[in-house]
Amino acid sequence: MANAVEYNDDVVKKFVIACVFWGVVAFLVGVVLASQLAWPELNLGLSFTNFGRLRPVHTSGAIFAFGGSALFGTSFYIVQRTCHTRLFGGEALANFIFWGYQFFIVMAALSYVMGYSQGQEYAEPEWHLDIFLTVVWVCYAVVFIGTILKREEPHIYVANWFFMAFILTIAVLHLGNNLAMPVSVFTAKSYNVASGVQNAMIQWWYGHNAVGFFLTAGFLGMMYYFIPKAANRPVYSYRISIVHFWSLVFMYIWAGPHHLHWTALPDWTQTLGMAFSVMLWMPSWGGMINGIMTLSGAWDKLRTDPGLRFSVTAVGFYGMATFEGPVMSIRSVNALSHYTDWGIGHVHSGALGWVAFITFGALYYLVPVLWKREGLYSTKLASWHFWIATLGIVFYITSMWVAGIMQGLMWRAYDAFGFLQYSFSESVSAVHPYYVIRMLGGVLFLTGMLIMVYNLIQTVRGPARQPASLAMAEA
Amino acid sequence: MEVETGDLIVGAMMAVFGLIGLTLASGATDNEMYVFGLSLTGFAAVFGFGLIRRHYDKAEAYARKENGHG
Amino acid sequence: MFIRHETLERNAFLMLVLTLLVISIGGIVEVIPLFTIETTVEHVTGVRPYTPLESRGRDIYVREGCYTCHSQMIRALRDEVERYGHYSIAAESMYDHPFQWGSKRIGPDLARVGGKYSNDWHYAHMANAQSMVPESLMPHYAFLADTPLDLDDLLPRLKAQRAVGVPYTDEELANARADLLTQADPAADNAALLKRYPKAIQVGRGGSQPTELDALIAYLQVLGTMVDFADPANENLRQ
Repeated sequence: MANAVEYNDDVVKKFVIACVFWGVVAFLVGVVLASQLAWPELNLGLSFTNFGRLRPVHTSGAIFAFGGSALFGTSFYIVQRTCHTRLFGGEALANFIFWGYQFFIVMAALSYVMGYSQGQEYAEPEWHLDIFLTVVWVCYAVVFIGTILKREEPHIYVANWFFMAFILTIAVLHLGNNLAMPVSVFTAKSYNVASGVQNAMIQWWYGHNAVGFFLTAGFLGMMYYFIPKAANRPVYSYRISIVHFWSLVFMYIWAGPHHLHWTALPDWTQTLGMAFSVMLWMPSWGGMINGIMTLSGAWDKLRTDPGLRFSVTAVGFYGMATFEGPVMSIRSVNALSHYTDWGIGHVHSGALGWVAFITFGALYYLVPVLWKREGLYSTKLASWHFWIATLGIVFYITSMWVAGIMQGLMWRAYDAFGFLQYSFSESVSAVHPYYVIRMLGGVLFLTGMLIMVYNLIQTVRGPARQPASLAMAEA
Repeated sequence: MEVETGDLIVGAMMAVFGLIGLTLASGATDNEMYVFGLSLTGFAAVFGFGLIRRHYDKAEAYARKENGHG
Repeated sequence: MFIRHETLERNAFLMLVLTLLVISIGGIVEVIPLFTIETTVEHVTGVRPYTPLESRGRDIYVREGCYTCHSQMIRALRDEVERYGHYSIAAESMYDHPFQWGSKRIGPDLARVGGKYSNDWHYAHMANAQSMVPESLMPHYAFLADTPLDLDDLLPRLKAQRAVGVPYTDEELANARADLLTQADPAADNAALLKRYPKAIQVGRGGSQPTELDALIAYLQVLGTMVDFADPANENLRQ
């Protein structure tokens, strides 16, 4: 029996709890923001509660606190098991990565509401926090890569290719985009080294690849472990894994300029960005095909295992978002969609449909295993979570599609005399009902989340698994 | 019981963080740097305490095991 | 293939190095030429560094997250140019550390908002946007009018900007505080200010100390006004 390895699951458990906690916080702030857009009185007139300061609390909370904790936890779980060895670096380093990351999250959120920001999307934390995060990230890289280097299993499993690419690329992106000159070493304000059009390109090289590597490559790593594990099937195609991995990590980097179509970014850069964004459709769907087709011969599990249902639906949403993205990257489409709520709809179909759902699938699998319980407290509740959350996503994205396309069309509409037909403020009033629907979608999604929290707490509090079935499950 | 290398490295990091935090807080020109500096020191202090506590807890458990089964 | 994939899958170091190479290419190709190709930032007249007051206002714009609702980039599209004015050129944001082109218009584009509305309109609108635009979703920023501008770190802020490439002269730095106070006082003599910073708009409501709102409005009132698109000297706009 080769199961004598004592894995460090303490750090995994910590990140799982953090992930669930930050998910609730991030989604709640999202609902607050959505409400403020529907009813601006909810900004309350105070400096620390207004939309401009709260928005990064939501985006950092969802991407880095919720998503990041999920990635740390699952990557540590997966790398140990696929390398058949305990996490490198010892307990102290693993604990520092956990607590250091939580410290970063709390400090960043606090800094935003206090009125400190570098003013770049998804890179708002000021220079001192960027440096602290770099320290934590270096430790993460050391621990993860160290574990791979001391592996007992000679072959590096595909999930780990994605995790390594994610860790490496995020480091490069973070350093490149956050180069800034502090006003003084004792002042939290800094000025970005780049400016204007060059800053714009660097920011979206970073921003799009925060999506491509943090929210995609990392979560694909998660997908490549939990779907085969939950379905008890091998990954569909080894060859697709190889081709889509390398083409994905190569192509994603070029896609940034599609955030800058028709702007002062040079035409040649926009064209490159568009071309690669359209090509990116293929490696993305390679991942989708690989994930979904792994269910071959096990489709009935979708009826009985709600966690797996989340994971597979996640891959479906992934396919949807990675088709919509390339379409929106086409310059003529982008002329309509840029600056509108269509972009918000697209982001959230990816964030809720892909990122959150694949995380839920992983959590529903991991919590019983980590806390050594027979199974979830209630598969019925998990099923309720699935349907409520899915309904929430549908409300969200359809309302944003309608609002976005409406805005785009209103802004470019001419009347019979050849004048602009609508004032800007008319387009604002027109989308109000859709902002209300979007808020309701968010409330549904949050409700599903709270159902999951209850389910997981009850699972952890419930009776432990019998020793016999434990040995079988670990094998 | 020997001190693990990981513990030493992280412990040293905490010492450095603590000093940096105090330095930043003492010279802070805005609220954020002040709060960050103090929080960093607090974090380092608590984490460092945790490291020491875990070491001695483990040493104690190890010693107890040795005596119990010896 | 020159390397069998199986070799990569058994060698973490090789895999890491190859990944690093592969992910570096796109960034290098798309970013570096923007610094080296001369036509990227157009050679036009009129673009100047922000005045000390405008610069502080910009810092407030950045920290309040105004870019999350407002863009500052008029696209080269017919309806957009008609609604907001000449499409934005790269030169206009060359001293913007960080750029604030934005990605979303919950509120209108601000690239050429300078001079569109009076100072009084801005003071009223920032305190209560709905009083000027009933449909507005904008939060109230009255607290900015109640916050005096911190002048202690004015010089360090300007020097830090100079360190990243904003060409403040020694004369401008020496007169920074005076220029700021002049610009925030509608009654003050602005000859020297205008000599150093053409087209600077004086703001202020006669208070004893400049407020954060004064700074923000000074910034808003200069946006999009620096380049004179009617000036034939700006031939270089044709790319």
